[in-house]
Amino acid sequence: MFSALQPLAQILLFPAGLFLVINGIVIEWIDRKLVARLQNRIGPRWFQPLADLVKLLAKEEILPAAANPWLFIGLPMIALAGCLTAALYVPIMGLQPAYSFSGDLIVTLYLLSLLTLSKGIAGWNTTNRFSLVGATRGFTQLFAYEAPFLLALLGPAIAARSWQIDTIIQRNAGSWIILTQPIGFLVALIGLMGKLELPPFDAPEAETEIVAGAMTEYSGRGLALFNIAKSVEFVVGLTLVAALYLGGVNNPLEYLLKTLFILVILISLQTLLTRLRIDQTVGLWWRFGTILVLIQWMVLIVWKASAL
Amino acid sequence: MRFGTMLSDIFQSLFQAPATQKYPFERTETPQRLRGKLTWDPERCSACSLCAKECPANALEVITVDKANRRYVMRYQVDRCTFCAQCVQNCRFKCIQLSSDDWELATLDKKSFTQYFGRETDVDTVLAELGDPNAELPGAD
Amino acid sequence: MNTLTSLEQAEKILAPWTKEAARPEPNRLDIIISGDDVFACTAALKQESWGYLSAITGLDLGPDAGALEALYHFCQGAAITTLRARLPRQGGSLPTLYPLYPVSSFFERELSEMFGITVINTPDSNRLFLPDDWPVGVFPMLKEFDPKVEQPRMETSSQTFPSQDGQKFYVPIGPQHPALKEPGHFEFTVDGEVITEARMRLGYVHRGIEKAVEGQNWVQNLYLLERVCGICSHTHATAYVMGVERLAGVEAPLRAQAIREVIAGLERIHSHLLWLGVSAHEAGFDTLFMYSWRDRETVMDILEALSGNRVNYSANIIGGVKFDIYPEQAATIRTGLEYLEERIRHYLDIVTSDTLFLQRTRGVGQINREEATHLGLLGPTARASGVLRDVRVEAPYGPYTRYPVSIVTSEAGDLEARFIVRLKELFVTINAIRTILDNLPESEMSVRVPRRIPAGETISRVEAPRGEAFYFIKSNGSDKPERIKIRTPSLCNWTAVLSKAPGSQLADAPLLIAGMDPCFSCNDRMITVKRLEHS
Repeated sequence: MFSALQPLAQILLFPAGLFLVINGIVIEWIDRKLVARLQNRIGPRWFQPLADLVKLLAKEEILPAAANPWLFIGLPMIALAGCLTAALYVPIMGLQPAYSFSGDLIVTLYLLSLLTLSKGIAGWNTTNRFSLVGATRGFTQLFAYEAPFLLALLGPAIAARSWQIDTIIQRNAGSWIILTQPIGFLVALIGLMGKLELPPFDAPEAETEIVAGAMTEYSGRGLALFNIAKSVEFVVGLTLVAALYLGGVNNPLEYLLKTLFILVILISLQTLLTRLRIDQTVGLWWRFGTILVLIQWMVLIVWKASAL
Repeated sequence: MRFGTMLSDIFQSLFQAPATQKYPFERTETPQRLRGKLTWDPERCSACSLCAKECPANALEVITVDKANRRYVMRYQVDRCTFCAQCVQNCRFKCIQLSSDDWELATLDKKSFTQYFGRETDVDTVLAELGDPNAELPGAD
Repeated sequence: MNTLTSLEQAEKILAPWTKEAARPEPNRLDIIISGDDVFACTAALKQESWGYLSAITGLDLGPDAGALEALYHFCQGAAITTLRARLPRQGGSLPTLYPLYPVSSFFERELSEMFGITVINTPDSNRLFLPDDWPVGVFPMLKEFDPKVEQPRMETSSQTFPSQDGQKFYVPIGPQHPALKEPGHFEFTVDGEVITEARMRLGYVHRGIEKAVEGQNWVQNLYLLERVCGICSHTHATAYVMGVERLAGVEAPLRAQAIREVIAGLERIHSHLLWLGVSAHEAGFDTLFMYSWRDRETVMDILEALSGNRVNYSANIIGGVKFDIYPEQAATIRTGLEYLEERIRHYLDIVTSDTLFLQRTRGVGQINREEATHLGLLGPTARASGVLRDVRVEAPYGPYTRYPVSIVTSEAGDLEARFIVRLKELFVTINAIRTILDNLPESEMSVRVPRRIPAGETISRVEAPRGEAFYFIKSNGSDKPERIKIRTPSLCNWTAVLSKAPGSQLADAPLLIAGMDPCFSCNDRMITVKRLEHS
């Protein structure tokens, strides 16, 4: 019976579920606090993201009259479910991924994209002008960065000759792919920023243009779930890039240090750069992102071929 | 092509204290000329009422208790005052001052915004006559 | 050419239609014409490139006189030519000046809704400041209108939300929107991300100040007018007291005037730093926003130490200023200015070299010099397009004759140019303040001014941080003004947004709006502009 409970515990408590939510909250706090300090402000106290979450869950959820209620209530849940499930395949806290099978790299990325897809459909569903523009921008951005990001993450996969995250980490253990594939790391990092809609790629949620993008009509529980999903996606994304490029994560300490390292880089970039217009984002990705990652791939292929 | 032009600023901020002041736990010293709440000294007043006449917000009223003995009371509505200091400018005897310390004027009780200045006995006399501190003064517009 | 020659030229140009000409002040020419000739006179002035239309004032001469008067003010340098047309109190009409001066559309709408004058063929006759459900036939600026009586509201369909065409996609920005610091309504019709049409509605912060000033005395009005705007408050107060002092036949003492210029300069620094932060925030560059607002605290602390408040400095009184600048304060100001100068230099470097920021501002919203002149733009928005329009330089008033400032322009005309012009202006301002502090003349702080201001009319123009603020002040000899007309710069600059929005991206819209430094409070003291441009 105990073995039957184990998957449940894995999904609800660790590594997914509660642990991941708390992890997400901590990452969100670090993000907000560090951005604030870099802007010479004080920033929120440690319990702020938790307080925000509790407050949102306690608030009334207002259902727009023209929206489909099933979609409206269900989409945040799908988004969160997708992100939480993706965590089962990555080495959270440096421990072995809970589940592993061949090709789970692609599945993980797909699950992470569920968030963007849900947001987009939610934006269309709520029929608010701003949500529609935000949803359109979200989808446009998805088409732009998804391919280069996936290709960049496949770089280490090629080096390890496997598409299974666990195997990639084991086979690449000790060697820091960032040194052999620096361009790939760069694209992966920027791709992560696009995926998480961090500035400068936060056009889908540009506060000064379209209020809150696809999230405009959400309040209460729906908004809370989307926010948690975003934080969880942040954690999973960081873990993935750290594990694949920074020589694997074998124990909690290494995990913390490596993810924090990437987090600090992302936060610095966030603070330094202006928001790009959506057409500039797409232009940037389809010109530089794709070309860079293709160059990286060609180098890889040539090197692999010569190694044989 | 320059990216990250503000790098020097954000780097310096890591070693500086935040620019935000943790009010109300930290307070800067207010400048001496700050236009805070009004105070009135009845001793020197001659009831010329220039302060009340030219107040843009009609926040001041001068009430005569005893003209022969120069006993006056001033009624000041804090919530109407715009802290423009025209009354201070107008007063020839420097009876009116705008405090530089007392500027935290928020309160939960609106009635406390109506304030009477003067010698205690005079103020009591006026209040006794009026009944309600916020009542219209006799002869007021 | 100097003022006298300008006025003589104007008189000659307008001779064919002149019923009567007068020179009420050394720099003013009043020409009385018939209402029907307004268009012809304006066309003649425009033909000779004499000045630009600065404002249109409506005057109610009273039920006894039984007439209204419409005044058209044209300014060239320091010279002001006013065309005066008498109209009956009801049913008067005037021709529109829209084909010659597009900005006149706003002025004419204000004239018709406030006084009941019909302007023939004006392109837009919707309400500008008054709400859509204001009763028809009730004109607030007529003398018999009592502001204390509540007006019954009409049942009407709002012009702000017209019948939605199913094919078009409207994105509303405002009245409540994170991009706007004050309420105003913009409606952009978009096709994907490209704007095809732009409409606008003003008047959300209309407070009826022009009517209110007629019920208070001259001193009380100073404080009311100071609060027309928060960040140009000192310029409004200065324009007012300069006008009243001129009517009273006094001039403020030299030291007071110098102090006025110091405060105006500090206010300009405050205003431009605020604008820099707001524009950076609209572009998504929050770090620049935070840092420029942090540095703005320096100038606000200086102003608080000097005047007693961070905004609404209450520095002016009719006849002078309230407070002096002592040497210790001058030293504090100098230290603060040194710090600010270094920081502003840093910000200028950022806005001209940061690649991503330039991608949002270079080439966006480009207006060339001819367009800017034709649209009637004012202030730094016009100067960024190469138009040499700055009241402090063209028509120096008060202290600016002794402590002049130089004009800062740019030829590029895009958003980046507007950043550059505003920041470079601050260097000029800082140097001017330093010069004044080094050369403060000795004199008293104020002169006495009578409570009853002698009857007369005067025009006061000052350069607010946003452009030219125009004041027409009329006294009837009592202790209350007869009429004060205020035309603020933001009202003229809206055309910059509306003409440039179609064809731009939706993401550029907040920057276009912010780029002209709008002050809704200023212009609402008392509209929909429909621009149909097919992409």
